[in-house]
Amino acid sequence: MITSLVPAWLAQAPTPDELKTQIDLSANILLEQFYFWTVVVMWLIHVGFMAYEGGASRRKNLMSTAMKNILTIAVVTPTFYYVGWYIYGCFEPGFPTVGPDSQDGHAGPVQFPGFCGQTAPWADEMGPNLQNHLNAVFFLAFLLFSWTTGSIMSGALIERVRLSAYLILTAILGSFVWILDAAWGWSAGGWLTIRFGFHDAIASGVVHGVAGLFALGVLLNLGPRIGKYTKEGMARSFRGHNTHLTLMGLMLIFTGFYGFYAACLFITPTVFPGWLNIYGSPTTLGAIAFVITVGFAGGFTGGWFASKGDPFWTLSGGLAGVISVSAGADVYHPSLAYLLSISGAIVAVWAGNFIEKRLRIDDAVGAVAVHGVCGFYGVFLVGIFAGGYPTGLANVESSMGGQLMGIMAFIPLAFLPGYFFSWILKKLNLLRVPPEVELEGLDLAEFGMDFYPEFERVPEVIVEPDGREVDSAPVLLDSYWETNGRAPAGAGVGAEERS
Amino acid sequence: MFDAFPYDEWGEDIAGFWTFGPGSSTGTYILTGIGVAVMLIAFVWFVRLENGKLLRQQAALRASGALDRPRGAAVVVETTTTIITDTER
Repeated sequence: MITSLVPAWLAQAPTPDELKTQIDLSANILLEQFYFWTVVVMWLIHVGFMAYEGGASRRKNLMSTAMKNILTIAVVTPTFYYVGWYIYGCFEPGFPTVGPDSQDGHAGPVQFPGFCGQTAPWADEMGPNLQNHLNAVFFLAFLLFSWTTGSIMSGALIERVRLSAYLILTAILGSFVWILDAAWGWSAGGWLTIRFGFHDAIASGVVHGVAGLFALGVLLNLGPRIGKYTKEGMARSFRGHNTHLTLMGLMLIFTGFYGFYAACLFITPTVFPGWLNIYGSPTTLGAIAFVITVGFAGGFTGGWFASKGDPFWTLSGGLAGVISVSAGADVYHPSLAYLLSISGAIVAVWAGNFIEKRLRIDDAVGAVAVHGVCGFYGVFLVGIFAGGYPTGLANVESSMGGQLMGIMAFIPLAFLPGYFFSWILKKLNLLRVPPEVELEGLDLAEFGMDFYPEFERVPEVIVEPDGREVDSAPVLLDSYWETNGRAPAGAGVGAEERS
Repeated sequence: MFDAFPYDEWGEDIAGFWTFGPGSSTGTYILTGIGVAVMLIAFVWFVRLENGKLLRQQAALRASGALDRPRGAAVVVETTTTIITDTER
């Protein structure tokens, strides 16, 4: 009986070729699911940014602040779809070239022939396609990175930027600026990777650093909120209307970061070593998850001590700590990550105070310090602590020289567009809300209502440089009158008044 | 409805089976062009809509005099909150 079944069973068994086809299909679907779920988790970053910034705003600006985060999705998604993804696919050599290396009618790096042609919005790979399960979910993961760059900037500008100006700027940052630097230095075929071994595995510089410096360029034109600085140039503090919401938002951002980290890896499920970083070099999911967790621990510790126990800076320190170790998260020893993240949080607290009190730039949530400064600090640290590790398909050793080359490329790439486009909007009088609207609160002008109708209005409080909490209304009106009804000057109290 | 898909005849080499497809066809070019145009119009509309709201509110606030520098003795200024200010400052 059994002997008669064996030949029948063997006849039904798949051939090695059929088995390979089934394994490949299974592996592709595993990959597709993996990136899909990273996208789901990364949504929490945007939930978190919305809560964080909403809580940090005054009651009168709650909805206008949250709406920036919501409409980031409305504008960055189509601009990234129509333009941004193509930039990532086609600008790895620097700028597209037409010649022997060109693939499918488009320029493309030799390492990934044809990828460029797959990133056009009308390409077969951007829709339902049985040959390619991955391009669409890769696109989505990068889209979520793009939203993140916009959200990083949005917090810095709250309570006086026009919603529409922010949307234009965030589209420029999310769909042009950051993705160009990602093509150059955050891809296996990027010229910074291939020629200089630039290493920024989980995007310290390419996402956080670039978004932070873009925001700095915008802040210089936007100017501080009315009443932020005294006549002597001392910084006052505004009280956010809901610190609980801010802290919860930060915790949600941290949760979403795990999805962000995971989405920065490639899986090769049927080929050793199974996991690759974005440059095609080996690492593991466990290793980077370890570093991010230790990075939070070190960041909270550094933030707590550097700020002498300030709740906002303790949590922001966690973010700063992780950003500081992200660039080398694929190769750092956890103990090294712990130490470096402590230092990153200390750097963030120091930089935040310096930017606010010395440079007199009103960054409402410390985004320039936490993301901009610590982003590039993280890239710099790789040059010190991970020099010599091979990066990318060409196995170019990472080095301090390569890291500095990346920093020198990214700083102007980030800062200049932020400054230039916000300057144009300022000249068109489209950057900042009218000062009268800023005093009354943006929500009444934008939406015609207060969003806590069930709660009695209490006088708004402002903290003077000496620590006294006072009713903000006379202070704000005085500042308004001092500027003759115009918005306060740009960076620095002594700067020329805005016209 | 799903019988319309010839699964038996299909293999992994099927690509771009979408509406107005396949990719790089006249239909997808036209749809992309329309999408880009709508996206650009949306940006213009974001600016115009907000600009109108802000300027109207600014004009209303100026007309109310609520934010004018007070003359004379202590006055009560009505804004979103009640502000009591002293002109001696």
